[in-house]
Amino acid sequence: MRTVTFAFTGKGGVGKTSLSAALIRLLSERYPDKRILAVDADPAIGLATALDMKPPMTLDDVRLRIAASIDKGETADAIDLLSEAKFHLLDCIAERSNLSFLAIGRPEAAGCYCKVNAYLKQVLETISGNFDYVVIDGEAGIEQINRRVMENITYLVLVSDGSRKGIQVVSAIHHVAVNLVKWEKAGVIFNRIRSGFDPPATQEIPPVLAVIGDDDAQAQNDMQGQSVFSLPDDAPVLRGAAQALDALLQENGS
Amino acid sequence: MKLFHDVLQQMRALLPEQPALSAAYRSDLCAESGDKNAILFRSDTAYELGGSGKPGVSSVLFGEIDASQDEVLVYGKDLCELTQDTAFAHLTIVQLKEHSEEDLRYEQLKEIGFRLFQLYPEGYHIRVSPSAGREQVRVAKSALQGAFPLSFINIGCSLIRLLREHEDVARVQTVFITGENVDYAALAALARKAKSITEAVQHTLQFGELDCASCKMKPICDEVEGLRELHMKKEKEKQNHGA
Repeated sequence: MRTVTFAFTGKGGVGKTSLSAALIRLLSERYPDKRILAVDADPAIGLATALDMKPPMTLDDVRLRIAASIDKGETADAIDLLSEAKFHLLDCIAERSNLSFLAIGRPEAAGCYCKVNAYLKQVLETISGNFDYVVIDGEAGIEQINRRVMENITYLVLVSDGSRKGIQVVSAIHHVAVNLVKWEKAGVIFNRIRSGFDPPATQEIPPVLAVIGDDDAQAQNDMQGQSVFSLPDDAPVLRGAAQALDALLQENGS
Repeated sequence: MKLFHDVLQQMRALLPEQPALSAAYRSDLCAESGDKNAILFRSDTAYELGGSGKPGVSSVLFGEIDASQDEVLVYGKDLCELTQDTAFAHLTIVQLKEHSEEDLRYEQLKEIGFRLFQLYPEGYHIRVSPSAGREQVRVAKSALQGAFPLSFINIGCSLIRLLREHEDVARVQTVFITGENVDYAALAALARKAKSITEAVQHTLQFGELDCASCKMKPICDEVEGLRELHMKKEKEKQNHGA
């Protein structure tokens, strides 16, 4: 089975999570007989709410539990620790029909997320083969690109709003990703765009997949804490995600 | 190995006199191997052994097996007779070859123990927490269908084959227990004791520490006959080797 992986990244606050959730809904509805894994790799943990799925444990909970046992001086070999991590992995996966959900969690300690990102990478390498589609809602910025959490993906989806800063971040991520990530196709979704916006014609960013305007239905949904599955079919975020999905799948036939 | 004798006797005393099912090892009874990274999804799972917060006891013991052949014993219902999440215990008793017992090595016990984590039968998703002595198994709906539904006998034979491939293993008995009529709390307590004995043996073999007053293994060494002797024997060997 070939696993098709979508990775969303971009500046903070541009709607990556809403778009990831929209794509996940589309995939689960279009392909009911396919297995889809949604990965919340953003410590802001918004995808759980967007999908209304909450696993009993996050990857960071597992990592901390194992680290604590080592700190307590409990003797354990590497294989025991691996078995322990594998034991809890199923507790980190919430399931609803053809959709599974896994969250990185929010490391409580201040500082870097290297360890949990390294663990996420390992987990994804181990379990991705069980799924037809994997959708990763990445954290803002280039950290997970730098750490090669998203090393081998099928589609790199960069998300920006219409601001110069948003476009600069997308350009910077793309620049770094060219050297560190293997992908088949990359593209940009411009989100929350007001009228009069012209996508920049530059080779610094990959082709534009969709341009999505302000979405009142999405804003309303967010305010009420509703999941993406409550959105009307014609909500702009869903139409935009569908346009991007079609553009990505068009040539690859995935 | 005499170290586990008492624990083993106490575990056996908790089980009914006769198993519901028993079978000598046969290679043709082994379960088909699956992918080690495969996930058995909830929607494809018939039930989970040790699931829904029910007991799931796992223990490996090194001791003498009172049988002339490798065997699988089942107490309670077999896989095809179960319909929902159930309490479960899985005990594996490994008898080492005589010369191996005398020349016990740290790596040897670890290698044998690790083999339990290398069992990936198709349609039988095992997960083991070594720290909690817990084993939970998702059993696939598909594995229970057809003319030859999966049985504990198939799983047990696969485990025996895996363990017998180790050159120091003389005999294996693997015991599956399901149903509500067993004192799982007592079994779990004995499993924890067995784990403490294994850790004390490994600690002795690996570090050969003689300062018992500061050693955290002291309580179990004081309790289990033979542990202190093993400790002294290994220390003597070390001194002779040094001289």
